[in-house]
Amino acid sequence: MSEPILSAHNLTRYFQTNKGVIKAVEAVDFEMKEGEVFGIVGESGSGKTTVGNMIIGIYPPTSGTLTYKGADLTRSASRRSKELKRDIQMVFQNPASSLNPKRTVRQAIEVPLKVHETDIPIEQRVNELLELVELPLEFAERYPGELGGGEKQLVSIARALGTNPSLLVLDEPTSALDVSIQAKMINVLLRLKERLSLSYIFITHNLSLMRNVADRVMIMYLGKVREIAPTEEFFRNPLHPYTKMLLSSIPVITDVEERAKPQRIVSTGEITGALNIPPGCSFHPRCPFAFDVCPRTDPPLLEIEKDHWVDCHLYPNDYKKTQSA
Amino acid sequence: MSLVQVENLKVEYKVYEGWLKVLNGVNISVGKGEKVGIIGESACGKTTTVKSMLRLLASNGRITQGKVTYQGDNVLEMSHGELTNLRRKKVSMIFQDPSAALNPVFTIKEQMYDIIRISADERLSTSQVHERAAGYLKQAALPEPDRILDSYPFQLSGGMKQRVNIAFALISANELLVADEPGTSLDVTIEDQIMRLLKEIVDKRGLSIILISHALGTVKNFVDRVYVMYAGTIVEEGPTTRVFNDPRHPYTRMLIDSIPKLTGGGVPEGILGQVPSYLTPPNGCRFVTRCPYRMPVCDGAMPALYSTAAGQAAACYLYDDKYGAKK
Repeated sequence: MSEPILSAHNLTRYFQTNKGVIKAVEAVDFEMKEGEVFGIVGESGSGKTTVGNMIIGIYPPTSGTLTYKGADLTRSASRRSKELKRDIQMVFQNPASSLNPKRTVRQAIEVPLKVHETDIPIEQRVNELLELVELPLEFAERYPGELGGGEKQLVSIARALGTNPSLLVLDEPTSALDVSIQAKMINVLLRLKERLSLSYIFITHNLSLMRNVADRVMIMYLGKVREIAPTEEFFRNPLHPYTKMLLSSIPVITDVEERAKPQRIVSTGEITGALNIPPGCSFHPRCPFAFDVCPRTDPPLLEIEKDHWVDCHLYPNDYKKTQSA
Repeated sequence: MSLVQVENLKVEYKVYEGWLKVLNGVNISVGKGEKVGIIGESACGKTTTVKSMLRLLASNGRITQGKVTYQGDNVLEMSHGELTNLRRKKVSMIFQDPSAALNPVFTIKEQMYDIIRISADERLSTSQVHERAAGYLKQAALPEPDRILDSYPFQLSGGMKQRVNIAFALISANELLVADEPGTSLDVTIEDQIMRLLKEIVDKRGLSIILISHALGTVKNFVDRVYVMYAGTIVEEGPTTRVFNDPRHPYTRMLIDSIPKLTGGGVPEGILGQVPSYLTPPNGCRFVTRCPYRMPVCDGAMPALYSTAAGQAAACYLYDDKYGAKK
């Protein structure tokens, strides 16, 4: 881990609709290091998928900068160089809808190989890829309908790996799967990461899963970053009230986990639509600690412990002093 | 005496390829005021079980064997009138997807007034109906009932829609509430609110509840007793804390181990293999294809439930003295 490979600065994406402007992502800043699993967590409507979509180039940001290993990512994929497209690939949430039901596994995996020509014969490469994701070779001639959910997702991963990417954007890769299958999938992904020296953007709403997969976690709420911290620190010492509310809402199965939860913040209210984001800190209508300044100004994202960034008026610059006092 | 009793229920679904033998001898009982959970992964027959109990099976489904009794009356043999009475006055169900459970082209008012009128014994004036509707919405912790009543489902958020469904269910759930993954399609903070609300209502009204979920944590924090299903069979049952703290069936153990823990510790290996096809399920234990303790006897006949502790039982030959070396 050294210099950041991916960095976003002031990353913003608005969508114009006939009801008004949806501020899906607003002024997001983060950096990601090589070989890292960078987790993005948030509830529906938090903008986490929009961030992933901009990285992969499904649409360009409205404003802000986004770079990957020095290359500019603020253009959509169709206007990026082939090398750059090869380098960043994506795995989608629902394998049933991201695979064409009328194409065999081989045909699905072949597509990127044909687009991004390599010296290796395609048939050999398909076999290699199936082996990489730990699927039997005879699966190549099957149709998605003949596969289980986990197997389908492995095929999507194999397809994404076809171009030898260095960064994978995993958008809820296991949400559509049962837990017994999810576990295997995650292990395959972690093994692949080591073997192929990959970096992952891991998008999920499942914090328990995040705890076990990510190196660092970024939490988003209504398009804004609310907290970024290394995973251990994030779960040991969550700072933002929203993070605490999320963590205390998770239903867990062991008493040890129950004790590991932060001070309980009872969940109240609902996330508002991105069409009418509350003024000031957008979390203030649900926040039990909100005070006079919260509805007025949006707090800045501050690094208040080493590598632990939080965006909340409760934590002013002199937080450390008050802690030690 | 138990409120609902399901005995040796077998259900099949007709598909192009043949009959899917889904439920294979399910036994469930729910006592009065008891909170019971059914856990298991997708397509293990949780929903089919409760739907058969209320005779709500899809038209390609058929009950081939078994008995469902509600307070001693056989539900499967009830006349249309008796069944209607059961659904209108005693039992109600909350479904997983709150959007799909509401009719998109009618306001909440139109839908709710209908249910209230049809479930009431006497003729109600509009103002009485309105008063009741507002009352139910209030019980479901919905502020501004008048605004909700005038809304179409698309104007409400997912959490509010599920609260409306709970309010609908309250109209006729005087004895038993069946909640099929009530929080699954919602965000975790909203699910937390919905589950707390449900618990409060169930406790206050002294209802029995059958809570179905694949989210083990949700069920653990809610119910007194739990059934674990795998591929159309009950593999384990017992008091919730016992089943979670000391699971006995290999599937229950492996399922609990598969869940990533909030305290970290890495991701477990999960359960290898796939759920067997319902077209040609194994003759014996249905978990046999994925079980690390497979014995010859497991392929023979379905294991019965062997009692492992007070109130806890596992359908596994490991607990039969004849075969089980490992306890």
